[in-house]
Amino acid sequence: MIDFLQAVGDGVFIGLVYALLGLCIVIIFKASETFNFAAGEFLVIGAFVFYVFFFDLGLPIIVALPLGLATAGLVGGLVEWFTIKPLLGRSPLSMTMVTLGLAFLLRSIVQFIWGSESYSFFMELPDITVEAGELLYISDPIWAGLFSVVTFVLVLLFLFRTRWGLAIRAVSEDQAKSMAFGINARFILLIIWAISSVCIAVAGIMISNFGALSVTSVGIGLRSIPVVLIGGMDSIGGALVAGIIVGVCESLAGAYIEPLGMVGFKEVAPYFLMLLVLFIRPYGLFGTVRIERV
Amino acid sequence: MLSIENLRVVYHDVISVLNGISLEVKDGEILVIIGANGAGKTTLLRTVAGMIHFYNGDVIDGDIKMDDVSITGLDSSDIMKRYSLTYVMEDRPIFEYLTVEENLKVASYSRWDNKIKDDMEEVLEYFPALKDTINRRAGYASGGEQQMLAIGMALMTKPKMLLLDEPSLGLAPLITEELFQIIQKLNSKGITIILVEQNAHAALGIGNRGYVVEMGRVVLNGEAKDLLKNEDVREFYLGAGENKRKSYKDAKRYKRRKRWL
Repeated sequence: MIDFLQAVGDGVFIGLVYALLGLCIVIIFKASETFNFAAGEFLVIGAFVFYVFFFDLGLPIIVALPLGLATAGLVGGLVEWFTIKPLLGRSPLSMTMVTLGLAFLLRSIVQFIWGSESYSFFMELPDITVEAGELLYISDPIWAGLFSVVTFVLVLLFLFRTRWGLAIRAVSEDQAKSMAFGINARFILLIIWAISSVCIAVAGIMISNFGALSVTSVGIGLRSIPVVLIGGMDSIGGALVAGIIVGVCESLAGAYIEPLGMVGFKEVAPYFLMLLVLFIRPYGLFGTVRIERV
Repeated sequence: MLSIENLRVVYHDVISVLNGISLEVKDGEILVIIGANGAGKTTLLRTVAGMIHFYNGDVIDGDIKMDDVSITGLDSSDIMKRYSLTYVMEDRPIFEYLTVEENLKVASYSRWDNKIKDDMEEVLEYFPALKDTINRRAGYASGGEQQMLAIGMALMTKPKMLLLDEPSLGLAPLITEELFQIIQKLNSKGITIILVEQNAHAALGIGNRGYVVEMGRVVLNGEAKDLLKNEDVREFYLGAGENKRKSYKDAKRYKRRKRWL
């Protein structure tokens, strides 16, 4: 029982980070029906940018974090400006293809600048390890979960409480209609990409804080695929729930299945779960069921 | 004054929709544009509103001028901000997943003043039916309410010129009548209106002037009341030609008469 609680708790904390990753994919998907395959690359870029500000330049975290996130947002906006914006009004599939290409390009750029070696990454946040009886939740995942939840809530507040958020939701529903009512859909799309890359950067920083950062961390971006497919491609709440589900699933697989001799099963467990969910609910747990005649 | 000069628009570089259309909109009037499906009415409005690029269209010739300044090629939000021109797309351009209130709010996005509350009150005065549904998702409103919401949203942008694309689409005759009365009321408050309609009789009934568009060209124009009496318009758009019974001979004649004089 203790093992179980331990595994679930660990899973929830990492799951909250996955939920944030899912959110990044979902807001872009809602706005332009594009799946951002370059999420992992944005994650690494965000983490590296923060690395430069925090470790290389030695700025205090209170300065480095906002600076790093702002730069990450800027990068996201710039990438959108050059690659996605010219495709506005075209098929969403072409934008998705562009993100696939972007993934390779950005990965190479990261490799070009920072090389392929690992950078050690310890932010030395205050120790908030929770110890209760035999349960032990270590500090770093808790921080990761906390930061992710705060970011998640901030994004939600932005989307549902501000007039820009309202415009974003309108553009998400229909680009043409929102343009007809004077909303600059191109600019809104840029903001969405910027927000998305800021969130991904938060996730990237928090995940890198577990140990090291290298260009191979792009693989973490792949975690967003089971998250959004389980939760539903266009559901923000779904991303939160599915993120936690994926985190817990991973952690339980690590605790109970891997000791049976299936080393590495932790990595694929979420995909099995994803398959299972997709068999039963093809649109994900909370996705909108779209009726399309083929 | 909006003037369109010899405008030619193609979609995807090959489909020529507007073939040199010219028309003029005077300030403060209701201009009615009628024409068959595929005549290019919607394309014309899209082009004026600056949204043609979004639909993969291109202006290859001609010019759109607002008070003698060319607005061709400007972005839709620029045109709206600079010239207070709002385009209400066909088929109820509302955001179905937002509430009625949010719809009205989001339409005021292009403005930065603090009078949004007052304007919303004003819009609700025009459309009392919206008051009851204000907190409901717009997708659940009835067709008439949705169209009224669409026009209400357009009013939130404080337009001087409204481009209405088939507002009566799919509405019951009584609702259409109510809607057209409201359009007339808006016009009397000083909003210039370009009304594209299939319901030619009702539209010409409230319009000042009218244009008949066919194959991307203006084939006939004049005062609305003259158009209502025009024999060709009566036959092709009002379904009331000469009071003779139709025969195959007439059908042949119809074909000949399609060449407008």
